[in-house]
Amino acid sequence: MHDLTQEQLAQAIGVNRQTILAIEKEKYIPSLDLAFKIARYFDVNIEEIFIR
Amino acid sequence: MQRNTFYSLIGCIALALLAIFWYSIEIHLPLLIIVAFIVAIIVIYLARSRVTNLIEDERDQKITEQATIRTMQVFWVAFCAFSIGAAMEILHIPEFPRLTPSMHEPVILPPRLMGYIQLGLLCLMIFLYVGFRIYYARKYGEWDTDEE
Repeated sequence: MHDLTQEQLAQAIGVNRQTILAIEKEKYIPSLDLAFKIARYFDVNIEEIFIR
Repeated sequence: MQRNTFYSLIGCIALALLAIFWYSIEIHLPLLIIVAFIVAIIVIYLARSRVTNLIEDERDQKITEQATIRTMQVFWVAFCAFSIGAAMEILHIPEFPRLTPSMHEPVILPPRLMGYIQLGLLCLMIFLYVGFRIYYARKYGEWDTDEE
């Protein structure tokens, strides 16, 4: 959708690529701070990313 | 400095420390390995601060935190139990059970041996920590790969 790699997203929000991968695979639950950073990066509400 | 260069540096330092350790034993100079160890740690910290592509994020911190907590939970019980037992053994208190003529003298472990056992327990803690670290790293997806 955003044509974005995990590496680019990781760099933009200051984490490792492995952390992005772990969040995607639901192996790691990010802190609220990190969740907000991700939501802010995509300019969407937090529930649009993390709540199914 | 790149991350891989940093890891190579750590490997070289570890090998050098091992060599210094055995050399200090050979020349009977324990101060050498003590100083070498402190210098090695300082060098590692300095090098780490210069690594450009090494990011320690909240997931890394969580892995470290969980591994440390679990290690301490296991370790302090084993270490304290042994230490209390050793102290009682050394101080001969309480003299229990009371010796009767039919009983043999209880075997008292030499204090130096107890020190070695405590040292062994400390070394075991390192392995325990590494084990827990691997476990939590796997749990939080450290070595996962994707199709990207």
